This record gives sequence, structure tokens and C-alpha cells, in this order.
Amino acid sequence: MALEGTLQDMSLSDLFQVFRMGPKTGVLLLTSGAERGIIYVAAGRLIDAAVVSGPERTVLASHDEGVIRMLLWDDADFTFRHSPAVLERPVHIAHDSEWLVLEGMRRRDNPALAMPYHTITLDTQLQLSPLPSSAESGVSLDVNQWRILSQVSIAPSLRAICDATGISVDQAIRTVAELMSIGLVEIVPPAVPKSKPRPRLDLMTSPQGSMMEPVLAGARSGEEGPPMVGRGLLDAIMRRVRGL
Amino acid sequence: MQPLKIVITGSYSAGKTQFIRTISDIETVSTDYAVTLDEERELKRETTVALDFGTIAINEKLNLYLFGTPGQERFDFMWEHLSIGCLGYVVMVDSCRPGHFAETQRLMARFADITDAPFVVAANKQDDPAALPVSYVRRRLGVSMDVPVLPCIANERSSVKIVLLSLLKHIAAQHQEEHV
Repeated sequence: MALEGTLQDMSLSDLFQVFRMGPKTGVLLLTSGAERGIIYVAAGRLIDAAVVSGPERTVLASHDEGVIRMLLWDDADFTFRHSPAVLERPVHIAHDSEWLVLEGMRRRDNPALAMPYHTITLDTQLQLSPLPSSAESGVSLDVNQWRILSQVSIAPSLRAICDATGISVDQAIRTVAELMSIGLVEIVPPAVPKSKPRPRLDLMTSPQGSMMEPVLAGARSGEEGPPMVGRGLLDAIMRRVRGL
Repeated sequence: MQPLKIVITGSYSAGKTQFIRTISDIETVSTDYAVTLDEERELKRETTVALDFGTIAINEKLNLYLFGTPGQERFDFMWEHLSIGCLGYVVMVDSCRPGHFAETQRLMARFADITDAPFVVAANKQDDPAALPVSYVRRRLGVSMDVPVLPCIANERSSVKIVLLSLLKHIAAQHQEEHV
């Protein structure tokens, strides 16, 4: 078993965050066209990397530069496999993953491409990410990053942040992409609609259900909403499930 | 016997059939057919095209029915029928396949349109050390904090029980809220 996908499904910076949160140990393999990359992760830390090309496996970049080269890929297939043996490998990467992600973003023409499943617009609502208590961050922010970060919890949208800070829209979007990429802010998820009040289904007096019509089980008298069951019945179901 | 229903839904290959098999009192009724698309065949050889069906007998008069929806979107016409009158539903998601998150989000939005029933999200395959953490799954699916997102191993009975109990508690809490 392994974690599998493409960088369109999950960006490399997100993968690095997940490795830190785990913390995970294993080998991340990436394929982008003719280039192949490998990153070794030990207890959440990137310790070695290389990018090779062609059947001769010509090394195009290694160590920190290898990770940065992979951060510039817009798409690649990836597979991450758990492997405790990685803990025995020597460390060849000098910087932590947050620094590498920021460096990768700085070298990109369009940093938003690093997180293809997010769309940042002026109406985007942002919130501070909950940081894991074990997180030790060596990341250093620039002035614009600090200015935007200071507004995230009080401004209702990116438009309000631009108004409050005077930072241009292009710069603000770029900076938010950077902050998201290193895991400091995130887009507010859409709210789940509240359930409407439901009519009550009296289970004790309703006619017996037909075993032959299980798909419509629970629907009675044209009622299509979820049935309201009594607390006693729910407790009985919970007791039964616990006893399984 | 009075039927009560819980629906197990989720994207293709999320583990819905296994979830029901693990907890059902009866040998589950599955309507699996050979997969026709190449990319789907890489994930599994058979898929559920109509429904999976399992039961848990609560007492002599009551049965809890578990229905698994077909995961592929081309069979989504079944979802509405299956969700009619359900107490609540479980959204299963494969914690090792971030490529399925977008489809799971679409499915959650569709179910929210179909039914007001409470739901929980089960982040399956958490026994894989490479699996994405539950907090990340919650964030990527955009699930609000009042909806439980639970670690799940669909072939472990204890794990499936925890998911079902969490759903039942969530249903009870919502009912209580509506009565206040």
C-alpha cells in the first residue's frame, strides 16, 4: 500500500506538510515526463533527494537543488511508501522543507501553480492554519508576508487585506500562495448547510416495513426527509452496535 | 420488522463494500460486476453497480439496514433512491488517494442536496503508514468542524463500530438540538 496521486491532486508543499505532521518516514518517488525524482523522508524531515533523466539516469540535480527542481514541476505522478530503512540514511539536505518550498516559490513565475487545486481571488476568505504543537519552524518571513499574515484573522477577504495593507492585488495573491504553501494560512472551507427541521416518524405505530423493499426503508407516507427517531431507539441501536 | 437505514457512500474504491461486509449480521448482498474502464481496473477488478446491502438486528422487531451506494458517478441516479428516509450516512474516503478528494467533494455536495440527514466522514485505510492524516483529509474536503471526520480501517470490526457509533451520536445530538 502507498500514498499515490499526482501533483494536481496534492502539491509537493502539501506533501511536505503531511510528512512533518505525521511525522512520516519513507521514500517519495515522482515522475514528470522524462525526469524522475526521489526524496527520502526521515521522521518528517527531507534528508536526501535527486532528479535523474533518461535510461542512463543522468543526475540533473541533487540534495537541496533536487527538491527545488521538483518544486518547479507543475505536474508529476507520485508514490510515497513507508520505509523505516530511510532512518539509517545519511542527511544530505541542509535546509528544512519550509525553506525549500519558499525558495521554490521565489523561483516560480506563478507561485499559485504550486497549489493547483486552490483558486485565490479577491473574494477568497483566509484563516490561520492550526499549527501542530510539535512544529518547529525555521521559516523566516519577509515584510509583505508579515503584513498579510497580520490581517488574516481580522479581514473578511483578500480584497479587505489589500485595502488595509495597500499591497497590490498581484503581490497579495502571490504572497498568500507563499503563506499557504508553507502552511501558515488556508482558505476558509465552505460552510455546511444547516439541517432543516424534520417531520417526526413514529416508529412504534407505523406499519411494518417490507423486507422486499429495502431501498425505500425508512420512507413512509411519501415522506422523503430523514426520519426523526426517539433517543431511546438510538440508544438501543448504539447498545447493539457496541455489542457487535 | 421495522426498517431503519444508514447509507454508506463515497467515491470509487473507497471501501464501502468492505465496511458493510465487516459489520453486517448477514452475508452481504452485493451486486458487483467486472470493471470495464482500464483506469478503474487498476484499482479493483469488480465494482458495485447497484447497491451493497447488510443488516444489523437491533432486537426482534428492529433491523438496521446498511446500504452501500455505487461509487462511480455514472450510477449516481441510485443515490437519491438509497438516501430516501435514511437516519444518516457515512461518507467514505480513501486516505491514500488524494486524486479522489474532488469527486468526494462533489458527492458530498450532491448528498447535501438530496437529504438533510446527518453524516460523518470516514477516512479509510488509516492502517497504511503512508496514509494522509485525518486533519488533512478534513481540510481538503472542506468539512466543517461540527461534522466528525474519523480514522477508519474498513476491514476491522472495531474501527467500523466506532464510525457507526459516532454517526449515531451525531444523529442523537442533532435531534436534541432540534428539540431545544
